Amino acid sequence: MAYKQNVMERNEDAETPASAWLLGLAAWAVPGVGHLLQGKWLRGLLLGGAVWSMFIIGFLFGGHLFAPVGKEHGIAGLMQVPPMIADLGTGLFYVLCWTGGFGFTENARLVTYEYGNTFLMVAGLLNYLVMLDAFDIAVRRKA
Amino acid sequence: MLLFAGLTAVVFGAVGKGTHRDRALYGVKVFAEFVVIGLALAWLLYFLPF
Repeated sequence: MAYKQNVMERNEDAETPASAWLLGLAAWAVPGVGHLLQGKWLRGLLLGGAVWSMFIIGFLFGGHLFAPVGKEHGIAGLMQVPPMIADLGTGLFYVLCWTGGFGFTENARLVTYEYGNTFLMVAGLLNYLVMLDAFDIAVRRKA
Repeated sequence: MLLFAGLTAVVFGAVGKGTHRDRALYGVKVFAEFVVIGLALAWLLYFLPF
């Protein structure tokens, strides 16, 4: 108990190194890279592979990414924000799709359309977890 | 559903705490929970008339 408290106090006192923030950013940008850069090969490949797979499967199922809509939708436009935050977790994938104008078109006629949306959103949410894990490893909160 | 459960379980297992064995067991547990709860909910909703 005392050891655990000492570790926590030490962690709170220690300043977070800039490299940890950069690793967190890299982990968000490209899923799995945050772990690979820290030498956690197996974990990086597993985590990156899972998030990448979910993202690709989401598109193969006909899902689409969410983006903010204009004021013409009124308050209903706010409904787009939570799924957009989830999608944004996929990092550069989302940014590249956004800049390239790809992946935002709805294809609701497909039976698997909603499954695709779910896969894309969960890929982003899982990558937030992966990013936090990479950050924790970088600040030595976790092995 | 199996695909979703499997990929999600991989991430949950890999970011978990403990030894490799603990993480692997946690991943298997998460996978099993997704599948069992998914099937249970599917049957429950099947019997609902609306």
